[in-house]
Amino acid sequence: MAGVWVLGENREQLFELLSIGRSLADKYGTTLAAFAFQDTQAARDCIARGADRAVVLKYRGQEGPLDVFMPTIVEEVKGKDPDMLLIASTYRLKELAARIAERLKAGLCSDCIKLVFNEEEKSVEMERLMYGGSAVQKVVCLSRPAMATIPPGTFEKAEAGSGPGKEGDVDEIVQTNEPAVTMLERKVREREAKDIREARTVICVGRGFEKKEDIKLAEELATVLRGEIAGTRPVTEELHWLPESLCIGLSGIQVRPDLYIGLGVSGQIQHVTGLRDAKVICAVNRDANAPIFGVSDLGIVGDLYDVVPKLVDELKKGF
Amino acid sequence: MLDIVVCFKWVVDEAFIRRTSSGDLDFSSVDYKISEYDRNAIEAAVRLREEYGGSVTAVIVGAPEAAKGVKDALSRGPDRAVFAEDPLFRDLDPSQTASVLGQVISSKTPFHLIICGEGSGDVYSQQTGPRLAEFLGIPCAAYVQRLTVKEEKVMADRKVEGFIEVDILPLPALVTVLPDIATPRIPGVKDTLMASKKAVIKVGKNELTAVPPPLLKTQSLKAARVERECEKFTAEAEGIKRFVAALQKRGVLK
Repeated sequence: MAGVWVLGENREQLFELLSIGRSLADKYGTTLAAFAFQDTQAARDCIARGADRAVVLKYRGQEGPLDVFMPTIVEEVKGKDPDMLLIASTYRLKELAARIAERLKAGLCSDCIKLVFNEEEKSVEMERLMYGGSAVQKVVCLSRPAMATIPPGTFEKAEAGSGPGKEGDVDEIVQTNEPAVTMLERKVREREAKDIREARTVICVGRGFEKKEDIKLAEELATVLRGEIAGTRPVTEELHWLPESLCIGLSGIQVRPDLYIGLGVSGQIQHVTGLRDAKVICAVNRDANAPIFGVSDLGIVGDLYDVVPKLVDELKKGF
Repeated sequence: MLDIVVCFKWVVDEAFIRRTSSGDLDFSSVDYKISEYDRNAIEAAVRLREEYGGSVTAVIVGAPEAAKGVKDALSRGPDRAVFAEDPLFRDLDPSQTASVLGQVISSKTPFHLIICGEGSGDVYSQQTGPRLAEFLGIPCAAYVQRLTVKEEKVMADRKVEGFIEVDILPLPALVTVLPDIATPRIPGVKDTLMASKKAVIKVGKNELTAVPPPLLKTQSLKAARVERECEKFTAEAEGIKRFVAALQKRGVLK
């Protein structure tokens, strides 16, 4: 027995893992299996999207911490000897993956963003970020199975009909052991200072702004683009023109919006690290040699005080 | 009374890492620091002791130069430190670190609760804590934002996508904590002086049963590159117009 197995908390995560899982399984010359939690329909849909086998892990009674499934998954792995496990990097699954890896004495590549099959070695070379995003580490697992957690959004979703199997049965595995940890309750998260990590459009305020009041220029642009405001480290943590929770970069948060526009942002590596996953990066800076242009898709060379009002007017025309 | 073990790591301060023109990383002028996440973990441990009584033991696995980090950690409030020290401990993978930590903790320091930072500031694989729990065979909750201890149990508010899961763990247990668990104090002169009087138990490699072989091999480590189109526009009306058209073409205007 062998196989590539994927494990995700929801359909989106599973479908994304299926696309990379399918390509690796083909290269290994093996099958692809998907593991879902509770959601039988999600498991069934995994078959339509390329999985050869689908399993749904079910709680015996009420839902609780996911780690109750750890012994079950470990036993499945021991019995079926897969080549590789790909697990979505969510808070709960990152913990679960590490504990499964420890039980199996398996190597685990955390937050893997690229997987390349090495034909000669029949192994998978995996890339991940280190040192706050300033370095790329390439690793291989020296164990069987090889394991990786993969951040949601890293791969495109597998489409229905792209795989060999269109229909199939879903195996149901019910929790076998008593949980060590019990769940008391689930609380909806209190609204924190606005979480811009999920914003589709981010307008970032850099040191090119001369004073705090001028941030309203950025706000006007954010309004017309229906985006959120963020800042660089000097603007947030040093000058406190914006809350520290809006600081993008090494010392702050990582964002992955569809659109990032840096206004008066110079583009230091510590900042750029926080936006490397943005789909389109734009910059407005009067210095044509500012490093931000080297990491941008689109840039306007000009004084933000001149450019932003023009840009707002031009954008308004389109709506 | 609560005996707490808090684990910490002595890491390269990434702000000092330079990048050579060939894309390699230059570590020649780096400095070291206690991993930020661990500073918050140490603070959380010390505050729990202040609230419930007991002790805090700070445990580190590292190379000899991490001695500076041991003193730094002790100036932040723990009662004593255990230092598993060997030049080989400079580069362990998470499974090896967990094994050494586990062996040292079970032989040198009784505990009710182990606290780890969510991940380390250098590698940030976020595995060592959960692996350590598994190595010791104790319950675990990761990414905890708030901790309350009551009658041989700990209540942990853990962050999950979209909600907070409140879990009850029987002690002994391990938690990994997010930075918002506690803001670290800045040690004063007195704290630094006191730190040098505190006990440091050193454990050599030969006192361990074994250090397991690595499970991960690093093939390369390179400076990260961002590859983008780098298309530039002028600030004239025409340039702005073309810029907006380019945004539209990429489908990012909604």
